[in-house]
Amino acid sequence: MGFHHLDQYAAVESGLGHLAPAARVLGTVLIAVAAASLPPGAWLEMGAVAALVVALSRYAHVPLATFLLRATVPLAFLALASLGVLLLAPGATVARLGPVVITDGGIERLGAALLRGGAAIGAGVLLVSTTRFADLVEALRELRLPAAVTAALGLAYRFLYLLLDELAQVQRAAASRNAGAGRVPRRQLLLGVTASAATRSFARSERVHRAMLARGYTGSLPSLRPQPLDATSWRALLPLALLLAALVVSARVRS
Amino acid sequence: MTASLELRAVSFAYPGGEPVLRAISFTVAPGERVALLGPNGAGKSTLLQHLNGLLLPTAGQLFVGGVPVVEANLRSVRQRIGFVFQDPDDQLFLPTLLEDVAFAPLNAGEPRAQARARAHAALAAVGIDRHADRAAHHLSGGEKRLAALATVLVSRPQVLVLDEPTGDLDARARLRIVRLLQERPETLLVATHDLEVAGAVCTRALALADGSVAYDGPLDRLRADRDRLGRLGLLAAL
Repeated sequence: MGFHHLDQYAAVESGLGHLAPAARVLGTVLIAVAAASLPPGAWLEMGAVAALVVALSRYAHVPLATFLLRATVPLAFLALASLGVLLLAPGATVARLGPVVITDGGIERLGAALLRGGAAIGAGVLLVSTTRFADLVEALRELRLPAAVTAALGLAYRFLYLLLDELAQVQRAAASRNAGAGRVPRRQLLLGVTASAATRSFARSERVHRAMLARGYTGSLPSLRPQPLDATSWRALLPLALLLAALVVSARVRS
Repeated sequence: MTASLELRAVSFAYPGGEPVLRAISFTVAPGERVALLGPNGAGKSTLLQHLNGLLLPTAGQLFVGGVPVVEANLRSVRQRIGFVFQDPDDQLFLPTLLEDVAFAPLNAGEPRAQARARAHAALAAVGIDRHADRAAHHLSGGEKRLAALATVLVSRPQVLVLDEPTGDLDARARLRIVRLLQERPETLLVATHDLEVAGAVCTRALALADGSVAYDGPLDRLRADRDRLGRLGLLAAL
């Protein structure tokens, strides 16, 4: 499988690239928390947080098209999940679509949800576009996430590709025998392929465990390159935290 | 001189199953290069997994560098044996090759800087240090095999045990692995179906049939004896 392109912007030289991965994770969390803390109606502050994310992505040299493309799918999910807010929030009627009433309160809440969620998604896209997966796992270790979680994430990244390969192999083998022609057979084929891939994955996990034991595994995955939060990272995080705090306080005071 | 490997009447059966290994005995001297031959189901992989304690015998004893392979000694045994699995994708499980190769030294308690340096040296020894920061799924089949070899060379084992090291490789990648193995100073035990590879790397053959040692002697003599190769189910490999 060729998924190498997913990592390509992690290697760019930028001010963000020089920060410890844990700082990038913390910065992302700060932006997401700040965006979520803004009250509905704080359009100026919401716009400022969104603009900050876009500015950071430009600073990190993540191409705008890539940034938007990666944000599209989660944004679509966000929009879908936020539709209920549009239909259920009380307020003055703005439009009526059959039995559905759209209120000004609904529009305001939907807009707020999209802007806040969009800023958080943008920050997440920026993080994964500027941080290699291995570094991301290391950052989570650095931030004291449970070892089982970080180990599972590290192994999942490596074996996701193998799983995709195995799925494709089983699918090709089935297709070469003309399996899955027609809607119902195709569904049955999908079930069969999934079951087969799951069985193979269980067998592989057993073999991988043996390979780990053979090299002295004792229950924890030791870290080769810890990347602690250094002074440079703290110096970058502090103004970000202050700026975001100022935006939240300003919005709260005005509301 | 202490033998690199010594097996005394080793037998093994999976729970509720037929015996897979039946009273296997042999000794491998330090520096010896042995091909473990046999058709599918002869017990080769099961035997290999006994050598570093992944499986423990139901009867008999094993010694690696004079150390008995028992639960209490597994750490020491696994530092002496470098086991390269049949499928390199089973052996490369971390996000980057460097982390994969440094896994064993880190587990052995080595400082990170030292483990990192040794991992780079091991990758350089197999000629793929330039891929240190890449994930295994970005490598070719041959490079994965080399990386899997590096994951065990890094521990400087006394014995290298390889399960089908050239399976599924094209001619060029196969040659690369063979040349590398020819230059290794460690004791070698190579399980393979490929008599050509065995002949290029090993001098002694151990052939298994139905879980027992059916031949133990010079590899050249076995390769020249077509009748015996046929009886052992190895003729198709020629």
